Amino acid sequence: MTASWKKLLTTGIILVILILLPVFANVGTSIMNQIVTLFIYIVLAQSWNLIGGYTGQINLGIAAFFGCSAMVTHFIWAAGAPIYPAIVAGSLSTVLLALVIGIPTLRLKGMYFAVGTLALAQAAAIIVQNIFPKAINMPGSYVQAFDINSRYYLGLALAVIAVAAVYFISRSKLGLALVSVRDDEQAAQVTGVNTFKYKVIALLISAVLAGLAGGLYAYFRLSFYHTSTLFGNDWSFDALMAAVIGGAGTIVGPIIGSIFLVALEYIFSLTLGQANLIVFGFLFILVVLFLPQGFMGGVEVIRSRLSRFRRGSNPEIEKNTSLPGINETALNGNANHSVI
Amino acid sequence: MNSVIQTLLIGVIIGSLYGLVALGFGLIMGVMKFVNIAHGSFIIIGGFISYWLFTFLGIDPYLSIPLVMIGMFVMGLVLYQLLFSPLLKLPRPEMRLDKSLLITFGVIWILDNIETLIWTPNARTIITSYSASTLNIAGIRLSYTGLIGLGIAVMAAVALHFTLTRTYFGKHVRAASEDSGAASLSGINVRRVYLISCGIAAALAGVAGAVIVTSYSITPSSGLSWLLTAMVVIVLAGEGNITYILPAGIVLGVIQSASTLVVSPAYQQPIALIIFILILMIRPHGLFASR
Repeated sequence: MTASWKKLLTTGIILVILILLPVFANVGTSIMNQIVTLFIYIVLAQSWNLIGGYTGQINLGIAAFFGCSAMVTHFIWAAGAPIYPAIVAGSLSTVLLALVIGIPTLRLKGMYFAVGTLALAQAAAIIVQNIFPKAINMPGSYVQAFDINSRYYLGLALAVIAVAAVYFISRSKLGLALVSVRDDEQAAQVTGVNTFKYKVIALLISAVLAGLAGGLYAYFRLSFYHTSTLFGNDWSFDALMAAVIGGAGTIVGPIIGSIFLVALEYIFSLTLGQANLIVFGFLFILVVLFLPQGFMGGVEVIRSRLSRFRRGSNPEIEKNTSLPGINETALNGNANHSVI
Repeated sequence: MNSVIQTLLIGVIIGSLYGLVALGFGLIMGVMKFVNIAHGSFIIIGGFISYWLFTFLGIDPYLSIPLVMIGMFVMGLVLYQLLFSPLLKLPRPEMRLDKSLLITFGVIWILDNIETLIWTPNARTIITSYSASTLNIAGIRLSYTGLIGLGIAVMAAVALHFTLTRTYFGKHVRAASEDSGAASLSGINVRRVYLISCGIAAALAGVAGAVIVTSYSITPSSGLSWLLTAMVVIVLAGEGNITYILPAGIVLGVIQSASTLVVSPAYQQPIALIIFILILMIRPHGLFASR
């Protein structure tokens, strides 16, 4: 009970600081832009986390949902509608894409879902680029009315919504079903879980979350120089990387991953230029190979080692005395629990 | 009528290239159950090596293929030793598949940016003295580079097929891909089989790159679209069905080429996606599966 109290308190303090930040401190537009980008990353990473981390289906084309929503939001907003309904409409529009790719590929095991989403993002980029070959701009009055604080608060709200959504889903019966699909699909099916249904539901929710990020991006960047950047693989890569580096299948992991990614990008892009992306690639591979649960998993491992060290007990003895189901997760860290 | 035949024949030529692109990918997929998404980047590296050999040493792109193959073979060995061999410890095949997806995703990130650093983002292509000349039969014009590409693709596919079915090594590969545990119990060095097939797959990517660079232009970021084509071809052929990869590629090429008679050529990639989805809905085990 005390632990959840502490968590609640920490979350509350962080939220209050974030809400009051633009009121009391003037951190400058550049930092504010970075923070809004961070919110976009958090929403996207949580979206990937739901389908990839909790359900175990690797989505390589989250940019398709992101870009689709950004385009829809942009045009509804430009047509004169207020921004909030525009973002809702934009994120709901992704459901169609998710159904088109999800229903055929999620039925099958293996690489089909990953390939399908990758192909979807590529195809969407090409179609949109053929339809809108030129840059898309907002009317001048929208540009004049640009105000970073409103983007900041909307971003904060969406990030909180995304984190809360994934948190409550992971605590619900739905979350349990998703995790069962991830850990052993066959066993889940045998015990009566309709795995296909739950995979599609997870994809739909994940697509809507990615759509929220897209809507925020359309609100944040008023004009798009090249529409293919919206569907570019960078978005899929970054979301995946943030979730996996931080720890897929945890709530805090994708947030930490996003902060890490945005901060490093900000630092490295000034000093290393193009080479900064190579650094990320290496880092990502190292994390996948050696920290299957990301940074969060690393923290867990260190914590359990420490407590074992304090108690002074021998892990070998513990292995023999504890229950078989428990020792496997506790000792191997994540052999059973590992997502990807 | 002539233009229809012309389009279909060009479809065959393009399709054979699709098959060639998918060969290495299908080999790794079939033998190790690994998904090597970085295959597209390997193809582009092969193309760039061929480009360098041509511009700096003046070696004809088709003659440089053995050199490219050797270089890429070594790269494949390195890839296996560094990244794939740790994955073999994972207990379940699905986990291997997912992890290899993620790891090679990181490899794309690294390779594409290294390519951009070395070769800049400009589009590169090789123009030889015979690049523009065509073979003219009864009003149908086919470029020599395309025809040579077709020949190389067929040769590579046939060579791979006979290696897998007629040689001792091929027997080992098939045994390891069917049941690696049983194969290693009966005295096959499964790790060595994996290592060499990974090298062969990378070498095949190099061949594909060398062929691509003569008739298409390549940029560091174009690997992904070739990779997608390869994946669609694999789905058409059916997973692990290496013999049917080239025919499946030709089917895809002809369909895409025929579609240009109806819709704009800019929509080739969406058409590949539509074919992918249709195949998954109608025949999830591939066009040529007996089941």
